Amino acid sequence: MRRTIRILPDSVANQIAAGEVVERPASVVKELVENALDAGATRVEISLESGGKRMIRVADDGDGMIREDALLALDRHATSKIASADDLRGVPTFGFRGEALPSIASVSRLAVETRHGSEGVGTRVRVKGGTITGVEDLPRTPGTTVTVESLFFNAPARARFLRTPAVETRAVSELLSPLCLAHPEVRLSLESGGKSLLDLRGGVTLLQRVGELWGAEVRETLLEVEGESGGRRVWGLIQRPDTVRPGFRRTALFVAGRPFREAGILRAVDRGYRTTIPPGHRPWTVLFLEVPPGEVDVNVHPTKAEVRFRDRSGIEALVEESVRRALEGEDSAARLDGGRATGTTGKSGGAPGTGGDAPGDLPAIAAAEGHRAAPTDRPEQKAGVEGGAAGAGRVVRERPGRSVGTGGPRRPAGEAVEDSQMGLFLPADGGREATGPGTTGNPDPAYEDAGQGRDDMDTLPSLARPRLWQIHRAWIMAEVRDGILLIDQHAAHERVLFEQIMARFQGEGGESQRLLFPFTVRLTRAEHDLVMDLAGLLNRAGFEVEGFGGDTVIVHAVPNPHPHFDAEGCFREMVDELTHGSPLVRSARNQHERVAMSYACKAAIKAGQPLELREMQELFDQLFATELPFHDVHGRPTTVRLTRTELERKFGR
Amino acid sequence: MHFTISRQNLHEGLSAVSASIPSKTTLPVLSNVLFHAGDGGVSMSGTDLDVAVRVRVPAEVETPGTLTAPGRKLQEIVRELPDAPVKVQTRGDQIELRCGRALFKLHGLPAEDFPALPEIDFESGWAAAGSQLLKLIRHTAFAVSTEETRPVLNGVLWELRDGEMRMVATNGHRLARMRIPTGPSLEATTQLIVPPAALQQVQKLFKGDDDIHVSRSGNHLGFRTGGVEVYTRLVEGTYPNYEQVIPRDNDRIAIVDRRPLESAIKRVAAVASDQTHRIRLEFSADRMVFNVLTPDLGEAHDELEVAYDAEPLTIGFNANYLLEVLRYMPTDEVRLAFKAPERAATVEPVRKEGEEEGEEYLCLVMPLRLLD
Repeated sequence: MRRTIRILPDSVANQIAAGEVVERPASVVKELVENALDAGATRVEISLESGGKRMIRVADDGDGMIREDALLALDRHATSKIASADDLRGVPTFGFRGEALPSIASVSRLAVETRHGSEGVGTRVRVKGGTITGVEDLPRTPGTTVTVESLFFNAPARARFLRTPAVETRAVSELLSPLCLAHPEVRLSLESGGKSLLDLRGGVTLLQRVGELWGAEVRETLLEVEGESGGRRVWGLIQRPDTVRPGFRRTALFVAGRPFREAGILRAVDRGYRTTIPPGHRPWTVLFLEVPPGEVDVNVHPTKAEVRFRDRSGIEALVEESVRRALEGEDSAARLDGGRATGTTGKSGGAPGTGGDAPGDLPAIAAAEGHRAAPTDRPEQKAGVEGGAAGAGRVVRERPGRSVGTGGPRRPAGEAVEDSQMGLFLPADGGREATGPGTTGNPDPAYEDAGQGRDDMDTLPSLARPRLWQIHRAWIMAEVRDGILLIDQHAAHERVLFEQIMARFQGEGGESQRLLFPFTVRLTRAEHDLVMDLAGLLNRAGFEVEGFGGDTVIVHAVPNPHPHFDAEGCFREMVDELTHGSPLVRSARNQHERVAMSYACKAAIKAGQPLELREMQELFDQLFATELPFHDVHGRPTTVRLTRTELERKFGR
Repeated sequence: MHFTISRQNLHEGLSAVSASIPSKTTLPVLSNVLFHAGDGGVSMSGTDLDVAVRVRVPAEVETPGTLTAPGRKLQEIVRELPDAPVKVQTRGDQIELRCGRALFKLHGLPAEDFPALPEIDFESGWAAAGSQLLKLIRHTAFAVSTEETRPVLNGVLWELRDGEMRMVATNGHRLARMRIPTGPSLEATTQLIVPPAALQQVQKLFKGDDDIHVSRSGNHLGFRTGGVEVYTRLVEGTYPNYEQVIPRDNDRIAIVDRRPLESAIKRVAAVASDQTHRIRLEFSADRMVFNVLTPDLGEAHDELEVAYDAEPLTIGFNANYLLEVLRYMPTDEVRLAFKAPERAATVEPVRKEGEEEGEEYLCLVMPLRLLD
């Protein structure tokens, strides 16, 4: 009987291996660029012709090879990078399997030109379909240039699967981008058919590199992430929450500098963002992981796109925690200018206070309309807005025999001409007079020493005891050392209440105010059942609820989140939201979060609520004592920042 | 309009009225005072649309007439005028003041722009002793609600029964009730819900020895003594049945010295949350223990000797509610009565022999339920 098992000749074996490693020009480029980077290149130039189908050239200024090495490199499993299987753990370089060059050589016409620094003359090795066809001397600078022509000339089946040059070119630049991110110190260029597609400066920071690759405007939206635990380290860049959008997402993950794909790590990133971005929004992410040798197996996949961690949940926890910590900082606050965040069409830009889904947000709009209303056409609206006394709006409507608003208000004569008093001395404090119409009450004397003059500004602690103003009864403006914070009073209080209630659910004490006149609420059957199911949680949140026969419940005690709290309104809105659902409560992970989010949203101070200075101070202090002060629970910003630099730029300083 | 008035009369009139002028308003005419010169005098009115004040002062009227003029400006001017007769005259929409060599012209607004004050016939009303009315106001008005969710609680309930006057105010968390066993003899019980801003004007403008005439017309109430009148709209609605929520079976009783108690609450409350003002009280044999624990801030502990011999009790309160109630207690000792940690507590004065009797004062505070 004839023998059926045979050892394949090297050329065939290489072609088979090439099937795994070399799928298309992009994979060739990737292998060659990885080799160049492993050789310590500071500059890598890539050229393609016809999308790499006709020609691929990768030139570097790395170490280069001596002639014997160049020959050996074309042998399968010849590699300078590992000597034994033990070295497989903790491989510091991109390539190590020793299959790249021979695999490529087996399916193309390939030329390696190289010179090692130690040799006076370079070497050119030509290979055709895996067979060395020539070795000759070559004058050149140290480094290596690999030219691959006629890819798959001897594997027509594979050649047929190649796409148009444009598609192949795009695939090259996409595969290249993680390598570019991993090596911001290296200058990289890509040209195709004589046209420059990419020309990245070398010696830049990761942030600059991201800007070059993904666009300068993206750079403005990124935050630094850093975390370390038990010898593992994670660092990189993530998007500031107010700039995160749904839809297209760019991500790049690296372990030991090697790009990989891993949905679990990205899910951990998303968990870190939780409540700071709306559900379905997808933050762009660049993360580098460093783990102790032996904790990661990179030899799972021939193109090394996948890796296996020994302790994946530990790594994910570190990533989640690091992202979350990055979002705690002031840098994660929305910016007034810069980034795609604010002002224009961005949802979050216009959202604070007015775009919320809480009905209670409406006063902001009403108030704004009141301010705009002409003095004579809607007097009751105006009185309602301005009348500080309780029920002023009602009074006006009910008062009989009222005869107001017939004659238009007249401008008192003389007001048109504004004389200004000349000062004998220039005021020492430029800002003192600017306490503006939004001020409620005098600035607390405690702030007098906070310093008003420009020079004193630098001695102001960053966030401690700033001066505060309420603006349009919806926002709080805070003067901080490096600029201005605008805080959405409703969003800020949402964050405070959310964390407070979550802490209570975890057993921290609280209290609720017993009512002199308990209120009863008639509910639908579904609402009633839900309230009874949730009675325990509602109780911890402060609502002491009891069945009152039929579908009616009675509320004996209520939480006391702020002095203007409408307990009954809040309770009804919560029950409605929790029974019928809303985008907010659907984004919650569990029942605790659902109740806490709904409570935070309904109980928080509404826009339109005038606040006293003391109340603003307390809200400010509480907000910055939370874990994520810059983000509310809907994924909107609580705070928009205008830096001094931006202000100065706006005024042409 | 043309009249001559003493600087003194003009100043007093303007001072009384100016308190009712809103400091901020979008209705320009409300920052003005309405002058009305008529038979033997001039009346000045001011209003913020909630409460109106009208004052009549004697003047020599040459030409009767009306005009409104900026209240605060006039007050500032008149305060500094020499003590001499002031001639007031209108020129179109301008008001002109002459006093000695001083001359002022201020732009006014037509009187028709000014909201009409309610018509109230004081002949049909009743009279209350100023001292009693002021005492009722002082001891209860502080407890009204400032939230707009239950409008009736934004007012003070003034109840007139045959030979008895009461005032009650509550915000649903604490309540104050005072009864005085004298008053006008009305046939039926009358319940009036009065905005506290009006009662403040009454406190400011009337004195204890005045006899205050009160009259109601439709939905408005007027107070008058001499030439001073205060008008207000009444709050519409039905006041909740407050008698029903006042506990009658509170049997754990502590007799406490008021000042040391106030002082202890104030110092431990310094450590309490600014939002909830939560403090915890523990009563046991002749001892009252104060505890405050506020995360991120700190804790406080204090003790007082009190007279208490009932079952031990632990109860939470909003310290501000307790302090407000204690501030108005007229005696050195107070009686705190409890039933259970989730039930209303009452605070009452403890009168000594020979102290003024007659009125009955009770405050009630709902506890904070402590979740630990």
